[in-house]
Amino acid sequence: MSNVLEELNQKVIEGKLEIVQELTRQAIAEGHDPEEIINQGLIMGMNVVGVRFKAGDMYVPEVLMCARAMSGGMEIVKPLLMGKEIVSAGKVLIGTVKGDLHDIGKNLVAMLLESVGFNVINLGTDITTEQFIQAIKEHKPDVLGLSALLTTTMLGMKDIIDQLVEEGMRDEIKVIIGGAPISQEFSDEIGADGFAPDGASATELCQKLLA
Amino acid sequence: MNQGGVEGGSYKPFTTSQIEMLHKASMKVFEEVGMEVHSQRALEIFFAAGAEVDFSTKRVRASEEWIMNLVKKAPSQVTLCGREEKNDLVLGGKRVYLGTGGTALNVLDIDTGIRRRTTLSDVRQTAKLVDALDNVHFFVLPVYPSELSKETVDINRFYAGISNTSKHVMGGVYSIEGVRKVIRMAEEIAGGKEALRKRPFISMITNIMSPLKMDGTYTDLMLEVIEAGIPLATPPAPIAGATSPVTLAGTLVQLNVEALSGLVLAQIVNPGTPVLYSVVPTTADMRTMGFLFGAVENGIMNAVCAQLAQYYDLPIYATAGVTESKLPDVQSGYEKMSTSMLAALAGANYIHDAVGLIESGLSVAYEQYVIDDEINGMVLRAVRGIEINEETLSLEVIKRVGPGGNYIADEQTYQYMRSEFFMPKVADRSPVTIWETNGAMDGREKARRIAKDILANHSPTPINQAIVELLKARNPELVTD
Repeated sequence: MSNVLEELNQKVIEGKLEIVQELTRQAIAEGHDPEEIINQGLIMGMNVVGVRFKAGDMYVPEVLMCARAMSGGMEIVKPLLMGKEIVSAGKVLIGTVKGDLHDIGKNLVAMLLESVGFNVINLGTDITTEQFIQAIKEHKPDVLGLSALLTTTMLGMKDIIDQLVEEGMRDEIKVIIGGAPISQEFSDEIGADGFAPDGASATELCQKLLA
Repeated sequence: MNQGGVEGGSYKPFTTSQIEMLHKASMKVFEEVGMEVHSQRALEIFFAAGAEVDFSTKRVRASEEWIMNLVKKAPSQVTLCGREEKNDLVLGGKRVYLGTGGTALNVLDIDTGIRRRTTLSDVRQTAKLVDALDNVHFFVLPVYPSELSKETVDINRFYAGISNTSKHVMGGVYSIEGVRKVIRMAEEIAGGKEALRKRPFISMITNIMSPLKMDGTYTDLMLEVIEAGIPLATPPAPIAGATSPVTLAGTLVQLNVEALSGLVLAQIVNPGTPVLYSVVPTTADMRTMGFLFGAVENGIMNAVCAQLAQYYDLPIYATAGVTESKLPDVQSGYEKMSTSMLAALAGANYIHDAVGLIESGLSVAYEQYVIDDEINGMVLRAVRGIEINEETLSLEVIKRVGPGGNYIADEQTYQYMRSEFFMPKVADRSPVTIWETNGAMDGREKARRIAKDILANHSPTPINQAIVELLKARNPELVTD
């Protein structure tokens, strides 16, 4: 691999946004193919980050810094792709259910999903069933992520799944749920496709469901 | 990396005037009761130096002025070195270090969990473990090799320790000839007599008996170490209600007399010699009069002793992190944490016994070393406290993130995430499903696996092979593998 791509790898791992952008411009100037820059420079670095994160050597804030550096590089290369789409890991629509204003866990899941290449639409908190259904029709996501922290609001997750069934949309989308009171049992009970106990497992779950 | 040396001192059980009350009471005991000294040499030394000595009753009494003049000669800072400089301990002030203690006779076997007699191999293995654990700053030889005779035990215990850790090695000693051999061996390793005095990577422990007695054999051993100029701890271990008054204040008065006695003897014989103000305050269970090493009262007393040492401006050898529990369990966890935390918050310098020991100091367990390393890490974090300044008050960051935002990906979070928090290795912090996937282990099992991994993979910095050959040639009794 050429030096500039190797260095790009390294700087993504170090989470250096400005340097990554500068190196991306340099790689373009040196005549590297945009796809080569993305796959061998930016994404390969991020893959290393994923491995280290899983081993406990890198922490969440670091992973997010790296993801931000990688996206910074992506923005510069993207216009050169001449209409070719960057292969996305998938599209995820995520939100906290009605009556619940908690969002730090859900946001963390969104950020971690983005860091491994998912396209995430984050609806926010206190989202009604109608709002979820509307957004699914509009964005056509591969995965719907529902979050709740309260044992009272978590029951609202079932309403959303039931509505999906009613509208004949259930088979077109994977539904994952999460939050402190959620368990695999509850997930099975309400007919969701999966549950993950923390942010890192949520990304793995999405990858598994879409594989 | 040596993570020790953090400044303590925020916990002060006594005010300065209460410390002075203890001091004055101790001085009265020196004057009116005195110490019973069972070594003819020591009695003569005390007499020649001007103490009031009754040779028929072996009693040594002295005035406050006489005692304090000698206390002033003791160094207020003692550096106990490691074989490698990164492991040096600068004792004095309120700097905190924690390490192992001894001398236990049994170990819970790492494979079977069965309690068995300790051997020389256990000295090597515990040294290796300690060498790899960041929050264990020194190695007090923790176990007695049951297969060795008293004549060969000193040199072999020290060699097993020194050759398996480059951290400071301190140990109890069993014969005068043994003391001499250990010092000679350390001189060879250090590169000469002077080199060892300059960078003492070994030190010794000789005990004082409670109440108020200096034993013949131990005191002669003590004199041998003092004359050699090797750093020394002279701990008395009074048991409140049994070998000292039942009141904790009374125990502290007597303990202070006993602790100063060893220190004073050292300063008469070899003014300026590195000696630690050494204390092992303990208690008994009043229901049975059984000895207690892990009682919370022991922790409070150690904290007061740290205050006394600070009052005299002397480095302290304190005692904490022991337990009555027979195995690494809930009891060992809370007993160890309570006494280690109290002693460390008070700024005790050299907190020994704080790693590995169970069963009131009679046994050790490999996994306990790993657990105690983690307890020490938490203790040191507490001692460090909270850094407060313009930057850590974070006004700019709070403005930048604002209501409803999050701090996860903020630059400041990234900057501080490794330094602001203690990161445990044993504690399980994962959600229950992940914990189950990983084998649903409790802390003891996790620690046992970490210990096994260290023993299989860690290589301490070895002693130069040429020196090992030389030591073997000079000491046929030396076991080197």
